[in-house]
Amino acid sequence: MIAVVAIAAVTLGALGLGAYGVRFARTTSDLFVASRAVSPWFNAAAISGEYLSAASFLGIAGLEMKLGASALWLPVGFTAGYLALLLFVAAPLRRLGSYTIPDFAEARLGGRPVRLFAAALVLAIGGLYLVPQLKGAGLTVREVTGAPYWAGVVAVGLVVALNVASGGMRGITCVQACQYWVKTFAIVLPACVLLIVLGGLPERAALFGRELPVAPEGGARVELARPAPVTFPRAATVTVDGAAIHAGAGEERTLPAGELVVPAGTTMPVAEGVPAQTGRAWSRPVAPGGGTASPLFVYSLLVATFLGTMGLPHILARFYTNPDGAAARRTTVRVLGLLGVCYLFPAVYGLLGRVLVPELYVTGETDSVVLRLPEAAWPGLGGELLGALVAAGAVAAFMSTASGLLVSVAGTSAHDVWPGRSVRGRVRRFRVAAVAGMAAPAALAFLARDVDISVLVGWAFALAASTFCPLLLLGIWWTRLTLAGAAAGMVAGAATATGAIVAGLAADPGAGTLAEGPVDALLAQPAAVSVPLAFAVMLAVSRRTRPPREMQGAMLALHLPDGLGPSALR
Amino acid sequence: MSRPRPPRPPRDELAEATPHGVLYLRRLRHAQLALSVLAVVAFGGMLGALPLALLLLPGLAGVRPLGVPLPVWLVAVPPFPVFVGLGILYERRARGLERAFREIVGDDDAA
Repeated sequence: MIAVVAIAAVTLGALGLGAYGVRFARTTSDLFVASRAVSPWFNAAAISGEYLSAASFLGIAGLEMKLGASALWLPVGFTAGYLALLLFVAAPLRRLGSYTIPDFAEARLGGRPVRLFAAALVLAIGGLYLVPQLKGAGLTVREVTGAPYWAGVVAVGLVVALNVASGGMRGITCVQACQYWVKTFAIVLPACVLLIVLGGLPERAALFGRELPVAPEGGARVELARPAPVTFPRAATVTVDGAAIHAGAGEERTLPAGELVVPAGTTMPVAEGVPAQTGRAWSRPVAPGGGTASPLFVYSLLVATFLGTMGLPHILARFYTNPDGAAARRTTVRVLGLLGVCYLFPAVYGLLGRVLVPELYVTGETDSVVLRLPEAAWPGLGGELLGALVAAGAVAAFMSTASGLLVSVAGTSAHDVWPGRSVRGRVRRFRVAAVAGMAAPAALAFLARDVDISVLVGWAFALAASTFCPLLLLGIWWTRLTLAGAAAGMVAGAATATGAIVAGLAADPGAGTLAEGPVDALLAQPAAVSVPLAFAVMLAVSRRTRPPREMQGAMLALHLPDGLGPSALR
Repeated sequence: MSRPRPPRPPRDELAEATPHGVLYLRRLRHAQLALSVLAVVAFGGMLGALPLALLLLPGLAGVRPLGVPLPVWLVAVPPFPVFVGLGILYERRARGLERAFREIVGDDDAA
């Protein structure tokens, strides 16, 4: 009940702020780039609010609980991506003064086809990212309030579409900045309170010692909605609906549907795909051998996130809202700080979850650890309040990421693909595109209700890293990049990334993100191959073609310090 | 602004850019790039060494400040302040390079 109120408050708050923002959103520039007048602190909060998606909010803690401390490289990589943006992209991209990434591509390289190709990529990446946001919202609302799946999808989809269509970039900047603080509060406060209530980390032996996760005091109860294939790492006797099931160590069994009870102190059975790890193995961020803690996987993940972030179109679109290039740099430095504060805490939830909610290992649904933990750790009103706060933060996370994605999708549709001739036409088309851009992913989210779609985010990330990242890096810093080179590189990168993902799905449809060998790792994380390939193709083809005539002008605009016109070079 | 400004400056304005000014601008671009690459090398050196160090020093897991193994601490906390520190240093140096450029081209508002 409290959770319903908290979620409703966050949703209505977003609507209210959006309505407030509408009063300022009149011109095209308001809708697309918030009139380029957002101050660094405000913008940094909005960027962080947009970037801290549910994947960060719920996913990192869930992955940490499932796979171990190797998941902690994710927040490091996600933040490092902003350092790359700061060092190579932020100021020059803002100075060029375009509205969208396809704008940048055409201004730098010339030619409408490259704009359309880039626009298609923006739409693809935005769409691939939107579906999991909506699906996550539906699942979270169902998990916390018991409302049907469609309720969360419709609520988040409607609020976001309304806010974006009415206020555009100007309106959602305000909403996203507030949502950053809601999320930070919702993740930091419960973590601190729970640590105080528990008096530090509980049962350290299970966390870091030789032990496997065991059922807590009073036993663990799990409602199995369908038969669950599990592995028993140690010999154990459990009951399902009162009927005893005895299994030897290492035995695989399919538990029938019903209420599973694991007696206190018994080692928990684990779902398919969840490794049974002793505390010592679990707490190693890197370890020799295979799996997600292998050095190859860790380095590949760090490189992919370092380069991939700069290719995400909804992140880049926010940089156009800075007043000038220097402000874009100051904004990015602040983003590094704001993200760092938030990313310190998912680790706490993963650690606590391993001891306090080990029943999630049985179902494999470790993603809900953040939502489940408060009430498991602190039964009573306190836990319920904290649980409501966390749920509200999660809904805020889905909404702010979805709004950012929708602005970039609508902006690209109304600016690059289907531009209106008059001012009113452009504004109207932006609004139509915002509504249509939400309707399609929402429909997909309904269809994909029972399908594991975690692969979509990886796909979108790999696409961004292997197309826009080389386009921006070479386009900004290498004068000899040509239209043919950039186009060939982006096609090669997009094709390789997509091919690897599709091949990975074909080889093992249920693989998700769990990589076992180096080949699986590359199929699931193709950026390690597709990004260098895209760079190589861009360099090689550009060397063989002539640079465009107007390149000089775009290079001036990119690198001339703010406020100096070309006349300063007299 | 009623319609998007074409991102490249008009050609006649460009024609005023003398080879001399363009040369300075190229130097500025190269200096900025060198600064960014230096920052990446510093960052890559620090962060890139971390997984390797943790791999080669398994004994660190025995050290447990507040009950949590040191490797977990090292991944979860120190990278973030390092990122901010690097960001601040870089931003300052980049601003300095631009100030120097303004002075060379004789912009009155050089600050």
